[in-house]
Amino acid sequence: MKRKIVIALAIYSVVFLLAGVYVIRTIQTATTNLDRLITLHQVEILREHYLLQIKRVQADLTLIDTPHSRSFDIVVAHILGMGRIIDTCFDCHHSPRGTERLNALKKQTEIYKDALSRVLTLRANASRLAAEEAAAFGIGEELIAQVREMIAFTTSKLGESTQKAMSEIERTKYFLYGLVALGPLVSAVLGFVFILGLTRPVKVLVESTRRLKSGDLDHRVVALKDEFGELAEAFNEMAGSLKEQLQKMQRTEQMVVVGELAAGLAHEIKNPMAGIKVAMSVLSEEAYISSEDKGVLRKVVAEITQLEGLMKSFLNFAKPQKPRLEPVNVNQMLNTTLTFHLKHRAVGADGPGKIEVVKELGELPPTMADPTQLQQIFLNLFLNALHAMPRGGELGVRTCLEEDGKTIRIEVSDTGSGIREDLINKVFQPFFTTKTKGTGLGLAISRQMIEQHDGAIAVANRPGGGALFTILLPVKAEGAAA
Amino acid sequence: MFKRSITAIVCLLALLACSRQEPPAPARKPAAKKLLIGLIPEQNIFKQMERYEPLMEYLYQKTGTKMKLKILPRYGNIVDNFKSSGMDGAFFGSFTYTLAHAKVGVEVLARPVALDNTSTYHGLIFVRKDSHIRTARGMKGKRFVFVDKATTAGYLLPLEYFHKNGISNYKGYLKETYFAGTHEDAIYDVLNRKADIGAAKNTVFQRLAKADPRIMKELVVLDRSPDVPENALALRNDIDPSLRSRLKETLLKMNLDPDGKKVLEQFGALRFIETRNEEYDTVVKYAGDIHLNLSTYDYKND
Repeated sequence: MKRKIVIALAIYSVVFLLAGVYVIRTIQTATTNLDRLITLHQVEILREHYLLQIKRVQADLTLIDTPHSRSFDIVVAHILGMGRIIDTCFDCHHSPRGTERLNALKKQTEIYKDALSRVLTLRANASRLAAEEAAAFGIGEELIAQVREMIAFTTSKLGESTQKAMSEIERTKYFLYGLVALGPLVSAVLGFVFILGLTRPVKVLVESTRRLKSGDLDHRVVALKDEFGELAEAFNEMAGSLKEQLQKMQRTEQMVVVGELAAGLAHEIKNPMAGIKVAMSVLSEEAYISSEDKGVLRKVVAEITQLEGLMKSFLNFAKPQKPRLEPVNVNQMLNTTLTFHLKHRAVGADGPGKIEVVKELGELPPTMADPTQLQQIFLNLFLNALHAMPRGGELGVRTCLEEDGKTIRIEVSDTGSGIREDLINKVFQPFFTTKTKGTGLGLAISRQMIEQHDGAIAVANRPGGGALFTILLPVKAEGAAA
Repeated sequence: MFKRSITAIVCLLALLACSRQEPPAPARKPAAKKLLIGLIPEQNIFKQMERYEPLMEYLYQKTGTKMKLKILPRYGNIVDNFKSSGMDGAFFGSFTYTLAHAKVGVEVLARPVALDNTSTYHGLIFVRKDSHIRTARGMKGKRFVFVDKATTAGYLLPLEYFHKNGISNYKGYLKETYFAGTHEDAIYDVLNRKADIGAAKNTVFQRLAKADPRIMKELVVLDRSPDVPENALALRNDIDPSLRSRLKETLLKMNLDPDGKKVLEQFGALRFIETRNEEYDTVVKYAGDIHLNLSTYDYKND
């Protein structure tokens, strides 16, 4: 978003800068044209003045040797003034054609001045004087004709230049009108787009917050981009975390309930049950009891023993033991448990299937853990794996040290049918089980123990079939806080 | 007796000494802020002004005295203008200076040395080559163009030529005479067949010949005058001596100043040199040869 705003503002600024440059350039051009027009008008005036001056000199010439003739100094001043005007014309910039015309004019002026000088200095008979005056006058008339032609030429040029300058000024005027009209419009559109770009994500986030508040912890913010996308991601993480915390709280509440129940059961059921069990055992040893009844009594005793196990599990789950940490070699613990488990399975195996054990144990550092609890966790996972493979399969056990060097990864996999996707999130819930004789506390207790070790456990289905349990245990050095 | 005589002589001498009065010194004008300088129409009057204006500007820059040029339609006017127009000085031709010195008492300061290292000029009498006029006899019934009655080259030389060839009344001898006013016009009038014979100064003749080859090709010189000083700057004798000295010094040293050198190049001279009245003796003698009385000479053109 920030980048978009910067780019948009940059484009906006560049567009306005270009427009500004164009306006300044156009104004400069218009000013130059106006200057040129003024100069052309000045030149026009200058040429008119020049023409007047020539006519004045012609008048002086005509009046020579008459009672109205002007003094020599005045005539000379008029002629010099005429020469100065034509010299002034050369100070301006002219096109090559204009310069050529001016040069011709200058040359003709010089010829005229020569003729005038001759008339002014000559002393001869009347006919010679008249001839010289006539010649000078003729040259003057030619000069007047040339100047008139030049004035006509520049007048037409002046008209064209005026038209051109006015057209440019008109064009600039329309462009400025366009800018005045479009500028606010473009600003408004851009502003609207920016506001929309800001308010829409905010609205989405507010709406999501409200849904979260109403208890919809599964709601996630989607389709937001840039910085708002990052905010949405953080929001989603927060929602996930809230859900997790809520589930933990729910579990804790369940634990409290189960604990109270277990305590009640222990207190209210366990002792009478122990009495019943002892009584049934004694009774089953009596001689007068038929063998058929003895079988029933032994069955009762067996059921009571099972109930006692259940009660023990309850108590373990509801009031878990605090881990007693000591340096543990996880690989060695796994090996021991697996050996014990396989031996136990060999004695009491349910199915005929052959289990192949695949071990890939990486080098692990010793870590502080409760070996009894770890053994119970591993045993629980192995039992689950074997249960998932009634017709045999492959039990995988892998360990490694994570790249950060601070976490031990333990994976237990099977090649069974896996866990249904709709149930996979419930396997760690207490009393959830897919077994006919299960208590539904094994995995719940396992997770509880792992979390007491500051670790985590997760389950996923393997792509090739079967389930994969992953335990992450932090490496704790001896002497570190539990 | 002898003692008495001695005493009487001494007393007489003493009385004479006491009674001798110095000629009144001319009243000096206060230092002028602006000098009016006249120009004779040696060539086209406007070109003449263009030639001298940079020089006047230079003198103004160096001396602080504004110099205003006044072009004159005729050579003789320069003498009149000293009397009537309050002119302070002028660039005089040799004959006009001789006249003005005699009539008004102007004093010469300096004159330029031309690019060919000469500071004098002489007059020429010339005709077209194809006119077949080669002698005074051949001039009979022809048209003669002079420059001005107040020029050495343009009038004194022809007078001297007529005089030495025994022509006492040239107006009756020639078909027509007139005054072109400038040396340049006199030369061109002969070249362009407006006149048959002309007289002008050699410096103008040579300058025009450089620009127009027809002059050397189509004209032929029949006679020449003695060398006389080139046009020189002369001031009224009542001009402040310190200003006169400053102007003279500036002119004489301007060839040593880079700015002055540029002005000289533009003017067409190498430097200015000091000029004295004695250098005009040639003109006085030349006028004397043809019996002209300078103090009574009528310099006005007919």
